[in-house]
Amino acid sequence: MRVRTEWRLQGRSALWLALLWLSAGLSAWAQPAPGTPGGAGSLGLRAGEKLAPERIQEIYRKVLADWSAGETERAPEELIELESAVVSDADAGTRKVLLKAEQAVIHQVGAADLEVLVPIAVLHHEAYWRLLKRGFHGHALAMIHTRTMARDLAVLYHGQSGSEGASLVSSRLLTSLGGLLQQSAQQLPAAEMFQQAIALDAKNVAAVLGLATIYEKNTQTESAVKLLRHVLEIEPGNFDARLRLALNLKRQDHGGEAAKLLQELTAASEPSWGTPLAFQELARLDSDAGKTAEAEKVLRQALQRYPNDLRLHVQLAAVLDRRGAPGEATTLVEKALTLPAGEEAAARFLYNTVRPDAFAAARTFLDENSRSRLPVLAQALGAPPAAAGTGVGR
Amino acid sequence: MMRPIRPSSLLPALAAGLLLAAAARGQVAVRILSPEPGQPVFGATDVRVGVQAGPAIDRVEVYVNGKLAGTAKTPPYHVQVDVGEDNVKREFRAVAYSSTGATGSDTVVTQPVMINDEMNLKLRALFVSVTRNGQRALDLGKEDFQVLDNGAPQEVVTFGRDELPLTAVLLLDTSESMQGKRQEAVRRGAKAFLDGMKPSDEAMLALFSDRLLRFTPFTSQKSILETAIAGTQAAGGTAVNDFLYMSLKLLDARQGQRVVVLFSDGADVHSVLPASDVLWKSRAGQALIYWIQLGGKHESFTSSWRDFKANDKEYRELEQAVRDSGGRILTIERLEDLEGAFRNVLKELREQYAVGYYPNNAKGDGKWHKLDVRVKGGVRARTREGYADYQ
Repeated sequence: MRVRTEWRLQGRSALWLALLWLSAGLSAWAQPAPGTPGGAGSLGLRAGEKLAPERIQEIYRKVLADWSAGETERAPEELIELESAVVSDADAGTRKVLLKAEQAVIHQVGAADLEVLVPIAVLHHEAYWRLLKRGFHGHALAMIHTRTMARDLAVLYHGQSGSEGASLVSSRLLTSLGGLLQQSAQQLPAAEMFQQAIALDAKNVAAVLGLATIYEKNTQTESAVKLLRHVLEIEPGNFDARLRLALNLKRQDHGGEAAKLLQELTAASEPSWGTPLAFQELARLDSDAGKTAEAEKVLRQALQRYPNDLRLHVQLAAVLDRRGAPGEATTLVEKALTLPAGEEAAARFLYNTVRPDAFAAARTFLDENSRSRLPVLAQALGAPPAAAGTGVGR
Repeated sequence: MMRPIRPSSLLPALAAGLLLAAAARGQVAVRILSPEPGQPVFGATDVRVGVQAGPAIDRVEVYVNGKLAGTAKTPPYHVQVDVGEDNVKREFRAVAYSSTGATGSDTVVTQPVMINDEMNLKLRALFVSVTRNGQRALDLGKEDFQVLDNGAPQEVVTFGRDELPLTAVLLLDTSESMQGKRQEAVRRGAKAFLDGMKPSDEAMLALFSDRLLRFTPFTSQKSILETAIAGTQAAGGTAVNDFLYMSLKLLDARQGQRVVVLFSDGADVHSVLPASDVLWKSRAGQALIYWIQLGGKHESFTSSWRDFKANDKEYRELEQAVRDSGGRILTIERLEDLEGAFRNVLKELREQYAVGYYPNNAKGDGKWHKLDVRVKGGVRARTREGYADYQ
């Protein structure tokens, strides 16, 4: 990657240079992604429409003005409409046209106050998030463009500001983007985002956990363990980190430490999405070691706490079968079919996928920081400022 | 060991004489001709009833342990019933109703197999597919089969084909990757299977992903099953091992020919149980597993739980579980072939010979018993390769 967080220049020329760097970075990011927009939106643009650079700038300014006025629903949609209309997957040159036009506007408003970069970056982040949710087939380049804008503006903001606050904001924006990439199974770019986020803020727990999860999925358990121990130095009580550390240690055949961690997690009175999973894995450690009596004990204890968890019923039935109690095992499985559907049943799925709440704190932080700078953006654009209390609201 | 009480050979002749005498008096005279009193019975049993009456007979009802098992309306009166494999005493009762309202009945009590105190005998049912020149051989008799259990010849106690009721679990992968055309094709396939079921057959439908999305009870009512298939949205990951184990366990409590028909790519990401548990269960139980796969090539993957190698091992063990159960893997390349695959499974099940025996070398020690079923006459026989000796 091309991140140079120590890079700082002064004044207008520095911003231009930085934007040129942003452009260079963009070209290296072309990769397949889903996407296709629907029909014409509120701007009345059509896909593939040839717009003059001045017209693109004009529309982009309008989008930014709407965003700064607190139009949190309309502005991202307009940005999607604009970028999808200008950029064509069949012609990489269209992306450069869009980039230059957007750069020109950012240069104008950014020269007035560097802080405007934050709400602009968050707007692009918001547009990317919406595109991902929608699965925009046929507009991969537009999607990559807006994601790259968000990332590069974050890096630029950090580079230009150099303040601790800028590091925190930029780090969270990169973390959130990493989370979105991870959610869409783009593990390598997600890992790069998390690495950049950690470089800006080594105590960014969500980014460290995100990166550890990617290492874990790719069987780099040693790297995962190292990162997870780092999280626990920052937040000793972090449930996710303790659970993942236990399971990675288990994979490394460090059963003793894994069991100790899992026992602590199952004994904790505070319930978590992952507690049934901790019980399951603790019982697995026992049954894998041939200690079926211990496994049975753990699972019976788990069922007392989670009587509606179907998977715990099935797991206990399997243990009982092995222990020569097939009758009770059958009764358990039959009982499992009478249970109401419970969220606990999805614990293993949640562990193996990106949970919606994993990056919620980073996004709230971004939203707050973007909202507080909207008046600055409005002022730079010469537009009316947002009403108090507006935000992305996710 | 096995000392069944044999009735006197005079009994059938005596019974026939009594029936004629009753008919001459204008009464409804009923005798159960088979099974005979004191005889041990297991599995598929043909209850034959002799009736003599002055007036015409409307129907003959057969009860097993007080529960109506079937009705015969025309002579020769007989009802096929699966009494299960428990070694217990059973009461058979036949009641004949004449067109005038007169009734007559008979009761026969069968006895369990006499066993010594130390050995609990369990009937082991083998389902054998036999082919001759690539075609299914359907003309074989009990005498054509020889069962070797760990090399020891066994006495075949029960024998039949297409007589036992079928109990099936249709275990259908309904994870997110199955959305759209795949799910539609699976629905059609499952429906084809259900359409081929007999009234005495039962099925349970289980639509799973990383959770159990929908299931039905065991039922012969196709409308219940079809409604369940139609109204489920594919979602989530895949946990084959957990739900396959659950299905096999549910079949433990059933009788007759038992089968799990699994449709999945087998890429298990979310199970808590390892495939080795499913393998153990398939070896210890008596249910068959048929696994229908779309596209034959397995590609491994990494997950939060396992690396490529470990996931490959999981997949191979699942394949082994299918083979050891006596079932097989059917690979189809096109979605259009899915209906045919489900039909083929049902046809194969119908054409299997059910061969039952009490292992004379059972110890209940959990050890592996290798099975060899030999069939006379240049044919090829396929059944489970063995079983783990758990009582």
